Amino acid sequence: MKSIPHKRSREVEAWLKREITEQKARYRKIVAEQDALAPKRDKWVAEFLQRIQTRGTHVHFNMMRKVGPEEIPVRPKRKFRVVF
Amino acid sequence: MARPHIEPFVDRDVPFRKFTMPGFPKGMQYKMLSLDPDNGACTMTVMFEPGYRQPPGMSYSEYELFIMTGSVTVGDKVHGPGSYFMVPAGVTIGALAAPRGATGLLFYNYGEPSFVESDSDHPRAERNKFAAVNAYDDMQWTSTNFFPATAPGCLVKVLHFDERTQAFTFLYCMTPNFWQDNISYHDCAEEAYHIWGTSWMMQFGDLPTGGYFYRPPYINHGAFGCKLGTLAIGRTDSRLYNHFHFNPWTNIEENRERAANRIQHWMPDLYKWINTHGHNHPVDFEFDHGHAHGDMAHHHGDGRVEHSHKKQRRRKK
Repeated sequence: MKSIPHKRSREVEAWLKREITEQKARYRKIVAEQDALAPKRDKWVAEFLQRIQTRGTHVHFNMMRKVGPEEIPVRPKRKFRVVF
Repeated sequence: MARPHIEPFVDRDVPFRKFTMPGFPKGMQYKMLSLDPDNGACTMTVMFEPGYRQPPGMSYSEYELFIMTGSVTVGDKVHGPGSYFMVPAGVTIGALAAPRGATGLLFYNYGEPSFVESDSDHPRAERNKFAAVNAYDDMQWTSTNFFPATAPGCLVKVLHFDERTQAFTFLYCMTPNFWQDNISYHDCAEEAYHIWGTSWMMQFGDLPTGGYFYRPPYINHGAFGCKLGTLAIGRTDSRLYNHFHFNPWTNIEENRERAANRIQHWMPDLYKWINTHGHNHPVDFEFDHGHAHGDMAHHHGDGRVEHSHKKQRRRKK
């Protein structure tokens, strides 16, 4: 039994409504901050794609394998989203 | 709609405010970390003001409480930092007090926060699933036992494991100079809060002390790094499997489709069975509740998941 059915009071409904509104604003702020991080992220991605060709990528625990240049994915034209 | 993707969010950036939810005593403050708009399930950082007192009572939702600083007493017993409680819906806990104050995390997993003063359990309570442990003093760090596993240097203490959903709650630490060079996503939602320390992810940058995320399924995260070490608490809503890869640009749809393709190859017989003859709402013989026809997304061979069933009437004997 994860939850027990019950009736919500008006006060609880109002509290939830307020929290949902605030969460929407919080979400928009996060998206804006993450969009602003894009130039740094592009640099981090470039470094990652370089490292997995030289040091390797983790496949399990301490097992790593080097990725060949032909395996490196091509960046798609769509927007690079990290928050969904 | 379930909880949205909240990542990253640092609760140190916002002040505590009074928790005014009906039913709860005065003297508790909170910071909302994430909230499910449909059922009100949420995760909050909470502060019990010095002198806080709560009578014996229960919640309509399962909840988990983790004490970060200070201490609370439940009944006669004092619970300091690292104390963890898993309280199933309807289970009554004794009087809770915080004579000198405390901070912690409260996870209401299936419904909005609720408190009903009571000396006895609700008739539907599952008392046997109640758990209380001090995760700092009474448990030791272990390597993760997932396969494939996270890189060496990420250690866990499993606080709670749900045998039906395989959801689990865990402390985890990253040792200084931990690094993992791959990208991961899971079939489950996961959330985590940094009790202490800063870690880095290629998508989101640094997550410092007080950093939090709620991440729905199939969202890329990693590569990972941690310079000085991190102590955190995490929780999933179902089984966690590490789908590793190294393509930074895949999206949720591509990741989900890849996961489904992998199920097709890993469990071909089961995959085929589920996809034929309307077998997509199977019953677990170990559980006599939680599965009435129509309570799970399914179809009748026509692929139409969006449909409803009338309530079945019991025949009079």
